[in-house]
Amino acid sequence: MSVVGALRPTRRPSAGGASRAGGARGSAWRNRGWVLLFLAPSAIPLLMFTVLPMLGSVWVSLHSWNLISPMRWVGLDNYRGLLDDPTTRHVFRNTLLYCLGYLPLVYAGGLGLALALNQRLRGRSLFRAAFFLPVVTSWVVVALVWKWLLNPSNGLVNTVLGAVGLPQPGWWTDPTWALPAVILSSAWKDLGFVMVIMLAGLQAIPADVLEAARADGANAWQRFWRITLPLLSPSTFFVVVISLINGFQVFDQVYVMTGGGPSGASQVVVGQIYDLTFRYGRAGEASALSWLLFAVILLITAVQIRGQKRWVHHA
Amino acid sequence: MRTIIRRSAAPAAIALTLALGACAQGSATRTDDAAATGGPVTVRYMNFSANGGHEQDLDAIKSAFESANPDIKIQLETVPYDDYFTKLQTAVAGGTASDAFELNYENFVTYSSNGSLAALKDVDGSAYKPSLLEAFSADGTQYGLPESFSNVVLFYNKDLFAEAGVDEPTADWTWADEKAAAEKLTDKKKGVWGDYQPISFFEYYKAVAQAGGEFVSPDGSAAAFDSDAGRAAAEWLVGKSGTTMPMEADGAGTPDFDSKLFKDGKLAMWHTGIWMFGGMADAPFDWDIVVEPGDTTKASAMFTNGAVVNAQSKNQEAAQKWVTFLTSSDEMVQKRLETSWELPPVADESQLASYLDTGEPKNRQAVFDSLDATVLPPVIERQQEMQDAVDKQLGDAAAGRTPVDEAVAKAAKAVDALLK
Amino acid sequence: MPDTLARGTAVPVSAPEPPEEPVRTTTAPAPAARAARRRLRPGRALTLVLVALGAALMLFPFLWTVVTSVTPDGSLAGGPTLIVKDPTLDAYRTLLDTLPMWRIALNSFWVAVASTGMQLVTGAMAAYAFARLEFRGKNVVFGLYLATLMVPLQVLVVPLFIEMKTLNLQDTYAGLLAPSIASAFGVFLLKQAVESVPRELDEAATIDGASHLRIFLQIVVPLVRPALATVAVFAFMASWNTFLWPLVIIRSPEFMTLPLGLATLQGQFTTEWDVVMAGSVFSIVPIAVVYLLAQRHIIAGVAHTGIK
Repeated sequence: MSVVGALRPTRRPSAGGASRAGGARGSAWRNRGWVLLFLAPSAIPLLMFTVLPMLGSVWVSLHSWNLISPMRWVGLDNYRGLLDDPTTRHVFRNTLLYCLGYLPLVYAGGLGLALALNQRLRGRSLFRAAFFLPVVTSWVVVALVWKWLLNPSNGLVNTVLGAVGLPQPGWWTDPTWALPAVILSSAWKDLGFVMVIMLAGLQAIPADVLEAARADGANAWQRFWRITLPLLSPSTFFVVVISLINGFQVFDQVYVMTGGGPSGASQVVVGQIYDLTFRYGRAGEASALSWLLFAVILLITAVQIRGQKRWVHHA
Repeated sequence: MRTIIRRSAAPAAIALTLALGACAQGSATRTDDAAATGGPVTVRYMNFSANGGHEQDLDAIKSAFESANPDIKIQLETVPYDDYFTKLQTAVAGGTASDAFELNYENFVTYSSNGSLAALKDVDGSAYKPSLLEAFSADGTQYGLPESFSNVVLFYNKDLFAEAGVDEPTADWTWADEKAAAEKLTDKKKGVWGDYQPISFFEYYKAVAQAGGEFVSPDGSAAAFDSDAGRAAAEWLVGKSGTTMPMEADGAGTPDFDSKLFKDGKLAMWHTGIWMFGGMADAPFDWDIVVEPGDTTKASAMFTNGAVVNAQSKNQEAAQKWVTFLTSSDEMVQKRLETSWELPPVADESQLASYLDTGEPKNRQAVFDSLDATVLPPVIERQQEMQDAVDKQLGDAAAGRTPVDEAVAKAAKAVDALLK
Repeated sequence: MPDTLARGTAVPVSAPEPPEEPVRTTTAPAPAARAARRRLRPGRALTLVLVALGAALMLFPFLWTVVTSVTPDGSLAGGPTLIVKDPTLDAYRTLLDTLPMWRIALNSFWVAVASTGMQLVTGAMAAYAFARLEFRGKNVVFGLYLATLMVPLQVLVVPLFIEMKTLNLQDTYAGLLAPSIASAFGVFLLKQAVESVPRELDEAATIDGASHLRIFLQIVVPLVRPALATVAVFAFMASWNTFLWPLVIIRSPEFMTLPLGLATLQGQFTTEWDVVMAGSVFSIVPIAVVYLLAQRHIIAGVAHTGIK
């Protein structure tokens, strides 16, 4: 706000909404030149180094290929095989469950943190840094710590659960609890990321609105639900869209925490893609699987964007 | 815009990709240029086994080779094992794999059966231990040379045996002896465990052999471990978990778990490889090794790595020279023994004499005694899938999710499907 | 489909500007609020305690990394501990002896700086085009940009590698950097920031005869500097930690980056964890410093992307 705020007085009221396109029609040609100039630096590398390999992987998905011998054309067989394979349903289901578990946790946690750290607290910026540290710490280290915390027999979490008389799950050693263990540690690691975004959203909520509500007798709870949360909805929208795009491609944490186990119980789509490509020499199926994943992510992103008008509040 | 993309950009891009794919297979690598110009030939060699402490030793072998062959330069590339095959496969896919590279025996079949390896010419086989040389051939053609081997023995903590008043293991021990001792040695209150043996494919195939069974049928067309021997082997491994051996929930299987347990003096017997000698050298108690106990017969697990020549290399002759030197030269033997690297695959065991008194453990003779009855892992083209399938079923059995017999049957079925 | 994508994502961005004088609750409390806060003291103390506990939990893995790295013969088994008996810097010495760490770190640093710099330039320019220029198919193009985020790298690596080989870029800095010249994530974030810059500003400049290039450089870029800082931290972090692509594209030791170097510390059968942990510390500290330096900008920056 500081920068924009400082410059705002220079705005000329006379500018209005008038001639934005300059010479209008005659400049269409020149306009195209500008578009090219501004887009080319990103469009060319993206085309060459992302879109082209993407098309390459479409090509690979139509073949049987183990990477070390020549490709063999199989048409749509890879897709058909995947749709028939119960493993595909299993990994998609796990990925969906991961997203469903992870998103509320990381969102609620990140929001709670942001609310807490938006207050005037001693050492606030150090706290913020502390909560951001896991975001930059490697998954290998984080996984080791969490496997210890969630150790079924003597881990901290189960010790506490046992002390208050709750059941003590087997976490990463139990097919039912392995995925929750991954979800828990992922949410923990990404709290800082969500916190930073929500903190920014909070700072943009004008205090006078909250103050007015307070004057009207709204209690803290009402202020949160009626004012803060609706005004944060665009941040929420951003977090949800990005977290789902990333969540559907969850891999690192599963790989290091459970390796997809025990007994395949926590395997996710990208984990399967990795295994198929680099461990099982089934690159064609891996590519086909990644295009199924692409379709799902695209669909989910599109649905969210369509639906946002209903709940995303623009001040 | 949409039209433009559909009409021109997409087909153009696909065409380009096709072109890229087409030239990738089988084209020359950059370092081949030197050969044409008559300068010294550069041979690139990629490996994993020098990683983690033996980089300089490999470097020394390379220098020795270069001074003996001034017209060949060796370019070493050492990649950690965990990432090695990701890198190798990508390089093979792109047609840029190094002229020579290292393969462990388990992965050798995949590469040899896909035409990625050059047939070696005029190999002098007399230098190598015959069984190891044989391991790197397929259909009568030598596609690789054995480079090193290591095996698995039974480590034991002498102090714990003395404390519990149990006789130390001997080479004549059977599973029953091991089990009886393990039960006496386990003291859960003190956190002392009698035994540790990973419940995994690599232990299982060996246990099947120890029980007198076969893992794969002789013609290689089906799994053969859904048998009494196969079930006994699974029972043997799985039965340890939670009784004489820590379970997964106790931390078993996490990095460093077993080595720390042994080094802390909390583990009496430990099935592991001779590569652990170095790490245990300064253990604060008395320990030694012995040939692994068998059941109806003795069988020790053996691991071997080989060096192969890339079928697409332009310098196959020079590459074979290097691979030969790397696997059979005296310099190599000396270096490996000196630095307790994996053992050299030489035929003449007298060359290995100095290994016997290199230090702890005292009974190094057991390493060689194990060789009298070794069993190499079964290998199939879809190796990794087989290992994962067997690991998965054994894991389910160990955790009590599947009865042992059923797990064995399921694993056999999965392996059958992979052999089709 | 991409049409709706692009149109949809434009919505949060075109949201009305923040109020004229945004008053931060934290900086300019009204007297009433101050009184209210005094009443809330116990609650605040509780918050402080909770936050401090949470922060401790957050710091713990990092502290454990440090502790393990100075523990002689450091091991991972037996559970993390923060107690060090006879701390030693041996692991760091081993690390520096085994690997040319300074060289590797410097490599990683320059690669990160270069890719960050390129992503800032390419991202800001694209953001300007999407936010300020009108052209046919804009939404489709933006949809394509977003779609590049939706295919996992694991399947792109092999086609990309084959392409690099054809361009003769394997084992070069150019090949290493190519995939990170532009990122759709950065474009997306910056597009929102540019759209939250009041249009009146550049319209006024247009009337004065300024070209798009001048408006971009002199008006837009300075105003979105905080958002640029945000993108910079994420781009730097991504480059600093990236593993799979460098693994396949690099083969000469002189191009080695930190994650590749650290991976070599883990052996096939045995690993010296104290050295691995020393390596982790070596790689976390610089990135933490980058974050600390950019923290103010990041928080202000995300606010500027128009998400509020």
